[in-house]
Amino acid sequence: MPRGANPNAARKGGTTQEKTKMSFDNEKKSLHDALVSCKIPDIDKAVQDAKAAGMPANEIIDTLGDAMSDVGVMFERGKLFLPHVLSAANGMKKAMDLLGPELAASDASGGASRGTVVMGTVEGDVHDIGKSICSTMLQCAGFEVHDMGRDVPTPKFIEEVKGGCDFCGMSALMTTTMTVMKDIIDNLEKEGLRDKVTVMVGGAPITQAYCEKIGADIYGESASETTRKAKELTA
Amino acid sequence: MSVITRLGDGSRVEMTREQIMADIQDGTADAADMGGMPALSSEDMERICEIICDRNRIVGVEPGNEVVLTYDIGQLDFTGDNGNSGNGVDMGRLEAALLHERALGSDTFELAHADYSIKPVKPIIANEMQTMEEIQNEIVIPYFYGAMPNMGLYYAPDGPYGNPADLMREFKLEESFAASEAASEHMARDIEYVSTRMVKAGADGFNFDTTASAGDADFVGTLKGVEALRKACPDTYINVGMAGESVMGIHGSIEYDGQTVAGLYPHQQVKLAQKAGASVFGPVCNTNTSKSLAWNLSRAVTFIKTCVDEAEIPCHVNMGMGVGGIPMCETPPIDAVTRCSKAMVEIAHVDGI
Repeated sequence: MPRGANPNAARKGGTTQEKTKMSFDNEKKSLHDALVSCKIPDIDKAVQDAKAAGMPANEIIDTLGDAMSDVGVMFERGKLFLPHVLSAANGMKKAMDLLGPELAASDASGGASRGTVVMGTVEGDVHDIGKSICSTMLQCAGFEVHDMGRDVPTPKFIEEVKGGCDFCGMSALMTTTMTVMKDIIDNLEKEGLRDKVTVMVGGAPITQAYCEKIGADIYGESASETTRKAKELTA
Repeated sequence: MSVITRLGDGSRVEMTREQIMADIQDGTADAADMGGMPALSSEDMERICEIICDRNRIVGVEPGNEVVLTYDIGQLDFTGDNGNSGNGVDMGRLEAALLHERALGSDTFELAHADYSIKPVKPIIANEMQTMEEIQNEIVIPYFYGAMPNMGLYYAPDGPYGNPADLMREFKLEESFAASEAASEHMARDIEYVSTRMVKAGADGFNFDTTASAGDADFVGTLKGVEALRKACPDTYINVGMAGESVMGIHGSIEYDGQTVAGLYPHQQVKLAQKAGASVFGPVCNTNTSKSLAWNLSRAVTFIKTCVDEAEIPCHVNMGMGVGGIPMCETPPIDAVTRCSKAMVEIAHVDGI
């Protein structure tokens, strides 16, 4: 034991510095567990407790961000579902609102959008569950998403891209409608817009090979994979 | 020595026996991890490897191992040509039924409407009942009525309830839950209306195809509809076929018989189906287009084998475009279809396909 160290420190909880560190470890665990539980009141309470204990706002948000990644993994593995992800995201949003002033002071870029995404199921196809899940996942990941819904006419995609966006996501569930994706890409090229936007494609009949064949940029096997690939491009 | 095999998107690929075996091990490990079930034994993995590496283009089961072959989607596999894997050959429903019975070796078949969903059948039930009676006078094999529960048709813009996909994007979770629950109850009532009338018109049974396509509330509504049909028609044959390997949690916490259904895998789904009154269960395992046939088949056999082991009712596995290990492409290659079918019969021990 170093000279001058308090022999009872460990029993009583350590030095002030150690105690603070241990205390934050506890707060971090509580924040993580609360977010993974996806219960908004629990997340609120954990954030309030962490703030009261003196944990810096950016550390609270980082901890919640790590927990949100775990929620994403559990979603991908089928252990959590979209309503759970949304509750967790909502809890995190409330934490951002609460800690906003403190965050703004410590990080000028806090809360900035990762980019704008236009999403839609192509014309002739009314299947939109997968596309909607993907929109929500992107939204939770910090993208600004404009979801145009299903059976979206091709000119509408072009118009939206003209209006300005970073990503254009197209979904199709049928082999007879997946060809519309190529038409949209051709139209983007014709309008001189193709290089200004990252094109993402997905849906049951879509494959990596098809994505490459029609000249799209990102193929997502699932909503999580699409979100991960979009995040990588904006990292 | 390399073997010509397939990727999950149907494209041809050359792999060595060692690469195939490694994919088989990965595939079964993935299923075991996802579903919390045992991985395949080394003997089963060797057997799958043998089936995949068979030099013949088409393989088949050994004599004595033949199983029941039934078909869903009715005549639409001939007539449909709008993205539902049909062939675009126009014919009447009677002709399609007799062709399946007398030329294609179907052991059962079903009558289906062009929309192939419960809700649109309700207003034309009298026409469907009449057609059922007429075809029953000609056909010998068990002839059912088939439709998808398709709860998506009960949500806006097609139905009276708010669309959870829209509500969740606006973070209106409570409203989304309420819409799912109301749509589920509504669909269960419609299932009872349609199915009991079709059985009274002479259908030998009812096939619920693509169950849970709209998620967990769709599954619960279908099970309640099955319960009602079983109560009204105790002797009828009820087949519950699934939409995917896992029940999507669009609601997330809706329950059937005290059990949350979101996230259930085939071996868990079958227990609820049999509890509701199903005679036969149709489990599904989805194909990953980026992985090999070996990976997909091994994974699918793992899911279905556990389902068959734990089921108290017969299991007729869904085998076709993008399910059961079969590649996801418009016309699935026959080499892959026959290999997957053989493995399902001889390793997973399914009762039918």
